[in-house]
Amino acid sequence: MKGLFGNGKVVAALVVPGIAVMVFSLVVPIGFSAYYSLTDWAGFGKFHMIGLENYREILTADPVFWRALMNALILMVVTICIQNPAAFALAAVVSHLTSRFSRVLRTVYFVPAVLSLVVITKLWVSIFNPTYGILNKMLHVIGFTGVNISWLSNPHTALGSVLWIILWQGFGWALLFYYTGLMTVPKEIEEAARVDGARWFQAYSRIIIPFMFPVISAVLVIDVISSLRQMEMIFLSTDGGPGFLTQFVSVYLYQKAFVASAYGYGNALSVLFVAVAVGLTLVVQQVLRRNDDAQ
Amino acid sequence: MKRLGIVALALCIASGLWAQTLKMADPHPDRTNGWGAVIEQINAEFKAANPGVEIVTESYPDQPLQQKIKIYATAKQLPDVFKYWSFSTRLKPLVDGGFVMELNKADFAKYGYVSGSLESNMYGGKLYGIPVSGDFWVIYYNKKLFKDAGASVPTTIEDLMALAPKFKAKGIIPIVTDGKDAWPLSITYDVFCERVNGDFSRQQAALDRKANFTDPDFVEGARQYLKFVQSGLFQDDLMVSDYGASRNLFGQGKAAMYIMGPWEMGLATDSNFSEEFRANVDAFKFPVLKNGKGKVDDLEAWFGGNYVISSASKYKDLDLKYLKYYAERFPGLAWEKGAAFPAQKVAARESDSAVAKTLLKILGDAKKVSGTTTIDRSTPQFGEDHQNFIRELSSGLVTPEEFCKKLEASAEKASKQN
Amino acid sequence: MAGVRPNALKSIGKTILYAFLILLAFLQLFPLLWVFNYSILKSGDLFGTELLKIPLVPQWGNYVRAWVDGKILRYFVNSTIVVVTSVAASVFISFCLAYAVTRMKWKLRPIAMLAVTLGMVVPIHTTLLPNFLWFSYFGLINTHLGLIIPYVAFTLSFNTLVYMGQLRTLPRSMEESAFMDGASWPRIFWNVVAPMSGGATVTVCVMTFLNNWNEFIMAYTYLATDDLRTLPFAIIKFQGEYRSDYAIQFACMTLVALVPLVLYFFFSKRIMAGVTAGALKG
Repeated sequence: MKGLFGNGKVVAALVVPGIAVMVFSLVVPIGFSAYYSLTDWAGFGKFHMIGLENYREILTADPVFWRALMNALILMVVTICIQNPAAFALAAVVSHLTSRFSRVLRTVYFVPAVLSLVVITKLWVSIFNPTYGILNKMLHVIGFTGVNISWLSNPHTALGSVLWIILWQGFGWALLFYYTGLMTVPKEIEEAARVDGARWFQAYSRIIIPFMFPVISAVLVIDVISSLRQMEMIFLSTDGGPGFLTQFVSVYLYQKAFVASAYGYGNALSVLFVAVAVGLTLVVQQVLRRNDDAQ
Repeated sequence: MKRLGIVALALCIASGLWAQTLKMADPHPDRTNGWGAVIEQINAEFKAANPGVEIVTESYPDQPLQQKIKIYATAKQLPDVFKYWSFSTRLKPLVDGGFVMELNKADFAKYGYVSGSLESNMYGGKLYGIPVSGDFWVIYYNKKLFKDAGASVPTTIEDLMALAPKFKAKGIIPIVTDGKDAWPLSITYDVFCERVNGDFSRQQAALDRKANFTDPDFVEGARQYLKFVQSGLFQDDLMVSDYGASRNLFGQGKAAMYIMGPWEMGLATDSNFSEEFRANVDAFKFPVLKNGKGKVDDLEAWFGGNYVISSASKYKDLDLKYLKYYAERFPGLAWEKGAAFPAQKVAARESDSAVAKTLLKILGDAKKVSGTTTIDRSTPQFGEDHQNFIRELSSGLVTPEEFCKKLEASAEKASKQN
Repeated sequence: MAGVRPNALKSIGKTILYAFLILLAFLQLFPLLWVFNYSILKSGDLFGTELLKIPLVPQWGNYVRAWVDGKILRYFVNSTIVVVTSVAASVFISFCLAYAVTRMKWKLRPIAMLAVTLGMVVPIHTTLLPNFLWFSYFGLINTHLGLIIPYVAFTLSFNTLVYMGQLRTLPRSMEESAFMDGASWPRIFWNVVAPMSGGATVTVCVMTFLNNWNEFIMAYTYLATDDLRTLPFAIIKFQGEYRSDYAIQFACMTLVALVPLVLYFFFSKRIMAGVTAGALKG
């Protein structure tokens, strides 16, 4: 059967369109980007080559860059350890409900994912408002009357609040992924899981989750990447502040490249970002593949 | 049939040759209200007076517009006439790149520009754009809320801070402003520095490296500014309260004062707010510091926004004609519709709202003006830094002394770039 | 007798569970309520002290203005053209790519994987200027095609990944037996593999659709003429230089959000039928 799956012509037909599109729209700009990162260009006008100066500055003299990476790492961990299991559990529960109720629930749970990030962010900024937001109001009602925390501008709570908004919005997506993943588990496997009267927890952890491992891996990789790529929500809520406590690389590079007109510097940030992200993804994929092969 | 076809073809070609399409860009996507509507009217009148001219406009909010103009500049596809920002941070790179056509100051002398307005767009002795708005920093206030709290218009900052408990007792926020965007805070800092040293030119001196941002007057300005921001006057979530949210707080009568520019004279005519609010909104001059050298008629005033002509435009004469027409019609229309506070002189009308008349008076009373705000006087990086640092200062993350040191370092770096 | 108590517990447990699910549903639905609420208020009432406010006089005029001045119909048509095309193209291309990477054996496989990974991490902002210059060269600026191509490119990687996850769970025996029955490759794809990937296809369609439906940055950069613009621009139309007509923007947002939600509701039913059928067959 090697011939079937090694058919070169078929492979080419399958692969060329995708690679062509990506080269056209992604690889070419990255190439430009790498080139610009070696200059002190402002985005238009004067232009000088300055070699690796931008990179040197980012890696040695830019605490904001490192803070941004750290924030992305924190988001990753929280997403993988808290949001994903919660979404999976909910997907499992929902998959056992009757079809109509399940469909309604699933549509409703997905609402935050459908609304634009602008709406979600504005809503939460409003909820987090220290004086008028319902969060503090609810806390007052249940007894914490002294609380007047300014959730998004207090250096201690800002990061947590921003992470919460991101996790909350992404929850609907995670639910969708896991639900459709669960739906594809063939009936025999499900039945095999229940055959010896095993309780649902064991059925899931011993049989169903391992079966769904590829789907889960895909979701985890997507989580890692999205954590790094966060932009709009931060931009619309704290803009990286207070100070740069809630800064993320995509926001930072936007500020540098476009607002501060340090286009060369911004592109260097972009190149570094791509390098870090690709590296991290490859590592994660290797780890997951080793686990998968061990199964 | 053939003859008809040839005639038709000839007509088409002729009309193609005849029609001139001007491409424009501005930051006013809403064409039914305010500034956008004024531009539409000017365009309609211009087209009527100049048959064969078509005008096609792209409008985006500020940030996307700046982005797109920069991209167009690099791609050599700039619009013929477009609105851009002022010197030196934003317009200078465009001028240096040779993208903007030079204008003749004498051409615009007869349009009643407020003194200092045209001058602030000159660079190397040449004029590159016509300013469109007269911007200056004032404090709006709600007369009814003041009366209810037994407060009177303060003349000193100390008096202003003393008003805080009076309003808070009534559950009213004393002052609001847009803290999220940082630039209002940077401008307020500028004002505080002047109230300390009585000298607007100190900012430019520091940028020119003839003075330092760590000099005592700047540090004192930062201290006074910080005291002001932390005095309990502002809304609790100042740093994430964006433009719309803070404006609405004032308009809904939840805040007694609002620090902003004269473009907000529209508050008095905004049907989104209550009748009572609209009848009670007025403004007063930014107060002085008791022991400071700045006087109440020293006005933080700049002339924002420029209409410029692309140097690569194929219709330069037509563009110039348009600019002159704009200069002629804009102040009257803008004032009438409450769309903007022009950089040209307008006469107060009987029907003007109280706040509009007050604003005219404040501008008229001004003895000294600051010119371009500090964040716009240097490189874009310096402007960004200034705003980031003022955010840190306002959030209590750095001390006034550290703030000034950072500003100083950034200014040093910026001066090397130029 | 022993059976009664566990049953009672079970039904209490069930009730609690249902209550929790419904509460969660309400929490998730809240943003839509909020947007809708703001859309029928006056702009001046927004972002004030109450989270929800029942208007004395619902401002349905906001919707009229949104529809007319916001040119919703025109932008809706454009959005549909651009998004549907990019979803179809992205689904097809990513499926092919995922299949080749997971099932086929070929030497350059790791490089393709790298390309896919790369495609996920490129920040959109840094591609704007280079792509603008590059697309201008091909005359793609200010065309729908010039927007569809980057839309496909940016969603290709994620979609490929989702398909890869799905395809790995399918046994190779399917294609092998189909091949032995004499089926050609296109047949195998269409009749054998694709139906089994229904779940992933749903996910991919939904993801791509939503990402592109709300996309604004590339739309305003690559398009210039009003007649070509997409829906997110309708919201921008009501933004002034300093202050904006927020209530109308929210009316626009409600209209813009309704479309994907309605589509998702109906779409998922059809595909679910296909998915469960496929699962039974396997």
